[in-house]
Order: sequence, then structure tokens, then C-alpha cells
Amino acid sequence: MSEKLQTLIIEDEELARNLLRSYLKDQPDIEIIGECENGFDGVKAINEKKPDLVFLDIQMPKITGFEMIELLDHKPQIIFTTAYDQYALKAFELNAVDYLLKPFSKERMQKAIEKVIHHIQHNENNIEKLEEMSNFRPGEEFIDRVVVKDRHKIHIITVDKIRYIESLDDYVMIYTHDGRHMKQKTMKYFETYLDPKNFIRIHRSFIVQVDNIAEIQQYEKESYVVILKDKDKTKLKVSKSGYKKIKEVLHF
Amino acid sequence: MKHPLTNNYRLLLFYALFWGVISIINIALNVGWYHQPLTYSLLDTGTNYILYPLLGSSIWYSIRYNSLEVVTIGRLLLFHFIAASILCAIWVYISFVIYRPFISEDDNRLVNDLPFKIFLGYLMYVIYLVFFYAVNYYQSLKEKIKKEVEYKTLLREAELQALKSQINPHFLFNSLNSISSLTVSNPEMAQEMVINLSTFMRYSLMHNEKEMVPFSKELENIKLYLGIEKVRFGKKLNAEFEIDSHCFEAEIPNMILQPLFENAIKYGVYETTNQVTINTTCVCEGNLLKIRIINDYDADTVKRKGEGIGLRNIRQRMEILYNQPDLLKIINHKTSFEVQLIIPQKQAVS
Repeated sequence: MSEKLQTLIIEDEELARNLLRSYLKDQPDIEIIGECENGFDGVKAINEKKPDLVFLDIQMPKITGFEMIELLDHKPQIIFTTAYDQYALKAFELNAVDYLLKPFSKERMQKAIEKVIHHIQHNENNIEKLEEMSNFRPGEEFIDRVVVKDRHKIHIITVDKIRYIESLDDYVMIYTHDGRHMKQKTMKYFETYLDPKNFIRIHRSFIVQVDNIAEIQQYEKESYVVILKDKDKTKLKVSKSGYKKIKEVLHF
Repeated sequence: MKHPLTNNYRLLLFYALFWGVISIINIALNVGWYHQPLTYSLLDTGTNYILYPLLGSSIWYSIRYNSLEVVTIGRLLLFHFIAASILCAIWVYISFVIYRPFISEDDNRLVNDLPFKIFLGYLMYVIYLVFFYAVNYYQSLKEKIKKEVEYKTLLREAELQALKSQINPHFLFNSLNSISSLTVSNPEMAQEMVINLSTFMRYSLMHNEKEMVPFSKELENIKLYLGIEKVRFGKKLNAEFEIDSHCFEAEIPNMILQPLFENAIKYGVYETTNQVTINTTCVCEGNLLKIRIINDYDADTVKRKGEGIGLRNIRQRMEILYNQPDLLKIINHKTSFEVQLIIPQKQAVS
């Protein structure tokens, strides 16, 4: 390698950061260009500094390492570090991305770096695999929040704040009580990981929070719309199967 | 507690058999030995040894609601004297009603028998009393044993849970990682942390020897736990204690506090980048030890779900141990989370 890997450390615990820094200090291929203590700063730093490699802790305050990946514009190579996360580990194994289990040895870390260098030389990047992976949550029942980024601000939306979700080709638009946020995820993902007791897929293009439904109107024979509890009285189309699902959840 | 005779089919059968045998002996004696007429023998036996046992089974209720431990002796005697008199009166009256059609007006056998009948009524009452108190004692003993077994099972589960939570993988591996880091930068502190971690784990492993421990000991263990976490989280974790010094001698179920602090760290410290204060206050009022733990949390990132296994376990343990609901209270303020735990003491702590 002619140039050193521009490396970023994202880790919330100081001692863990210190250790990683001391391990990396004398690595010939590594140059540390920054350290972040939480996921918010991490997303910003990655998008601004565009590192080649990121050591990323999974369990962090505000947003997790996994959630961070969904928000990146720049896609570096990533080595995850984690103490224990059985579901994540399973996902790693499936996707053959490298990860370090804390506490880890310097030798183990060197191996991970070698793997990354190999990836770069063969022009492979694991980030796409990672994105695939973040659509798949083995073992997890339902999500309780969604992270989104508008321009430079990251929002954490707890699912109870979601009014409805609209599909827009490759994206979805998430409507909350104080605005709307675009996110690169599929309707299928939300249909699977939002609790069906609270969220109904009423149409190919819509998922609605049950508590947010004001009324259901028939507007043609065999065709319905729901009217939402907001000041615009938003109307959303309901498909035949959607109507059946509403009936089941609301018991009428 | 249900009536032992209706609740236990075998006991009821035995009871019927017993009085059946007594009745047959009584008839045989009356007819064979005293040469009484058969009708009279049947009436005598019927009222004494069949009617009385029927009425007498109700004496259960008079003892059931007059526990020996609660009522004073004087009141108890008075109560039973009145109950016995009422029962006797009813019994004698029904007996007379049964006798009347069979006995001529001038037969004064009834009047002659009256004092004996009343005496018999009171005597039987006393016998029943002793019998039922014995049954009651036996049943409560059995129930107590059953409850104790239940409690022990639950305690074992709680221990297991506690054990699991110390070997909470996040806690353990992250602590080990901190130690790994400290061996490079600060070997002395690394050593201290190894010792603290060992002491904490040892306390948790040994605690199944005793159910109740002095509050001071439990508190020491909590401080050890928070100390270990403090090494990991640094300034982010701030623990404050306001403990009434005379609370230290109070007794507390072991390992009941640790899950509460673990929760506070999990939902408070893990999920935020700000400093989180865990404030613990303890006061002793009369024979109650009151513990209150408050931690801030970041309402934006954490959506607290209902009661987890940890809290449910504590609630169950407290209920079985003290037979009293509501000793554990959980209050969710908008930006902080409050847990109140009340530990009743045998004696007032002063």
C-alpha cells in the first residue's frame, strides 16, 4: 500500500478508545484521523472526513452502529467492535464482514486490517452487504424507533410518533406529527418490523398507525378511504386486503 | 381456608364413620345393657350423635375467624361461651321437636335428661374446639410450608437471574475490555478493577447462604458495582447516596437492589451522551426502610417498555416475603425514572 488508511474510531467508552488507539499507533498502514464518542458525531465525521476505514462500536448511546450505517453518504470499510450481541454476531457470520469481540488482541486486530486491505485491493466493499444486513433483523421482534437524516440533522423517531408511511419507489416517506422524513428502506421492511397491532398496511403504498385513524369512508362500491386525525384530514386509499386487515385490528 | 370436612372427602368419610360407630355402640348399650325401649334409644342416639355432629361442624367457623394469636384470651373465652350457648340452645330445641311426636305428655324423661343434655352440648363443643384448632393449626402449617417452598423456588430463580445479570455479557466483557485497556495505561488501576470485579462476583455467588443481609452489606455491594461501571463510563455516570446512618442495620433481602441499579444504568447511562445521575435516598420510618432510586434518562432515545423480568422478579419476591402488595413502586416522570422500595423491619430501627 502506498498510502496509509485514513482511519476513524467510533467508540463511546474512553478506555476502549485508548486501547484501540494504542494498538493502532504503530500499525504501518493506519493513520488515525479522528475519534468520536457517539453515533451522531460518527455519522457527521464519516460524511465529512470520508475515511477509508472505521472501527465502529455497535452498542452506543443515541444511535447504534447499525443504525449509523443507514445514514452514511460516504461508505468506508468497517470493522465492528462489540462486547456481546448475539444477533449481530449471527448477521456477521452470514455476511462475512469482519468484527472484533471485546476484549480482543492486537494480533486479531491486525488480521482484520489485513482483510480490509485485501478488500480494498480487490475493489470490494462490504457496505452493501451491511445495508442488506440492516434490512434483516434476526431474532428481533419489532423495532421501537427509526433513525433518519435530513440534510445534516439526525432524527430519532420513536415508532409511536409515526402517523403513516408512504412508499416512493426506492424510498419511503415517514410522516410524523412534526414533519416528514425520507428514508431508504422498503415498505416490506416496515410492514415486517412494525408491530401489526399498531400499524396496518392498508394499501400497497401506505402503512398507517391505528390510533391515527379518525374514520373510514366508503367512496365507491367496494372501495374505501381512511381519514386521519390531523387538521388537513388526510385521506388515504385502502385496498381490499387492507380493508380486511383494518376490520381485524379494530374489530368491527 | 375452606372447611376441612367439605374440603377433604376422606376426612368427611372418616367423620361419618366415627359417629356411625359411636351411634351403633350407643344403641347397643341403651337396648342391651340399660334395657331402654328401641324408639327412645334411636331418638337419643339420633339427637346426640347424629344431629350434634351435623350442627357441630359449623364450630369450624367460630374458630376460623378467631385466631388464637390475634384475640385476647378473655375475649376468646367469652366468644366461645356465647357460641356454645347458642349452639346448645338450637340443638336442644331441635331435639325436643324431634322427640315430641314419639313421647307422651306425662313422660318426664325429657325433663330429667335436660341437664345432662346441656352438659353434653357444652362438652362436645369443647371437644370440637380442640379438634378444629388442631386441624386449623395443621392446615396453616402445611400452607406455610408450601409458601416457603414457593418462596425458595422463586429465590432460586432470582439468584439465577442475578447470577445471569452479573454475567450480563455486556457488563462482563466491557469491564474486561476496560481492564485490558488499563493494563497498558494504568496497571495499578487495572489491578484494583480486577479485585473489585472479583469481590462483586464473589458476593453474588455466595449470597444464597442467607436470605436477609444487613442493609450496609447490600449497599457496599452496590457501590462496588457502580464503581466498576464508573471506570467504564467515567464522568457520564454520577452516583449520589443520601443514607440515614441508622438505616445501616436494617435487614434487607439480598441481591434485591442490584437489578434496580442495573436497570438505571441500562436505560439511563447506556442510552445517552449526557451525564446521568443515579440518586439513592434511604430513610427509616418506624419499622419501615424506605429506599428511593431516581435516574435521569433521555426521553428522545428510550421508549421504556413495561416491567422487565428484573422488576417483576423483585415484585414477586417482595410479595412472597412480606405478604403485602405495593412494596415496590415505579414512577415514570418525563425525564427521570423513580423506583421506590419499602422493606418492612421486624423491629423499629432507631
